[in-house]
Amino acid sequence: MTAITPLEFIHKKGIFGDHHKKNEVDLLRFSEVKNLTIIQLVQYKKSKISINDIKIENLEIPIQSSNVKSNKETRILWSAPRTWLILSSKENIIKTIKKNCDEAEFAITDISHSRAIIQIQGNQAKEVLKKGSPINFNEFDVNKCVSTTFHGITIIIDSISSHPETFNLLVLRSFGESFYHHITDAALEFGYVGV
Amino acid sequence: MLEIKCPYCGKRSQNEFSYGGDASVKRPELGKEISDKDWDDFIYNRKNPRGKHSEFWHHIAGCRQWFKVLRSTATHEIFKTAKIDEEL
Repeated sequence: MTAITPLEFIHKKGIFGDHHKKNEVDLLRFSEVKNLTIIQLVQYKKSKISINDIKIENLEIPIQSSNVKSNKETRILWSAPRTWLILSSKENIIKTIKKNCDEAEFAITDISHSRAIIQIQGNQAKEVLKKGSPINFNEFDVNKCVSTTFHGITIIIDSISSHPETFNLLVLRSFGESFYHHITDAALEFGYVGV
Repeated sequence: MLEIKCPYCGKRSQNEFSYGGDASVKRPELGKEISDKDWDDFIYNRKNPRGKHSEFWHHIAGCRQWFKVLRSTATHEIFKTAKIDEEL
């Protein structure tokens, strides 16, 4: 039995929108990010452990708001005070986290199946996001993340790369289809490729 | 549209926030006998001032933290924001 991804029935492959006379390489690319493990890590209020002493996959845990620490397989996103999201393509990441973070000090929750992740890539990606989100994208660099809204839907934007601009957009699974409609509709004027 | 400075995330647009009521209202002490009027004042009665007003706000689409805001109800100017356990 295979798992059904949140956008299984809505994400379509092909070229859409205003793509005439444009090079396909220059178009925006939308894809569904699958098979990522998402772990929410919350440090209990009573915990007195210094977060600086903890490393996961050799990554420090970001203390400043909106910061991300990353390597090839794992990204640690600052989500709120004493709260982080860990996204990893490693299957046994939860074991690694539990090994490094004492469960008496931290709440460790696997929320992999409660989020849909859309990746948007291309040099117009920020222009698409600007249409529905109030964040100042001129000051939004690589390895920054932000929790905000897009047309009223709460999303987390994780900036992966700047050449080309690449963002992972995390949204609650139940909002996934609605958000997909909003974001692809906003991208029509630029033309996009569903991959 | 207001721009509100969340003590944790920095300046963000108002549509990421949710208003949470008057921050000057104190809940009567637990286990202490109180009059109906005091309970009424805590639950229902508000001052509705014109000018500076301390308020609770919730960064509901961001870090999901509650914090305090000192705002003018006449001009919507925001003078100060503070964490929930800090004084405005």
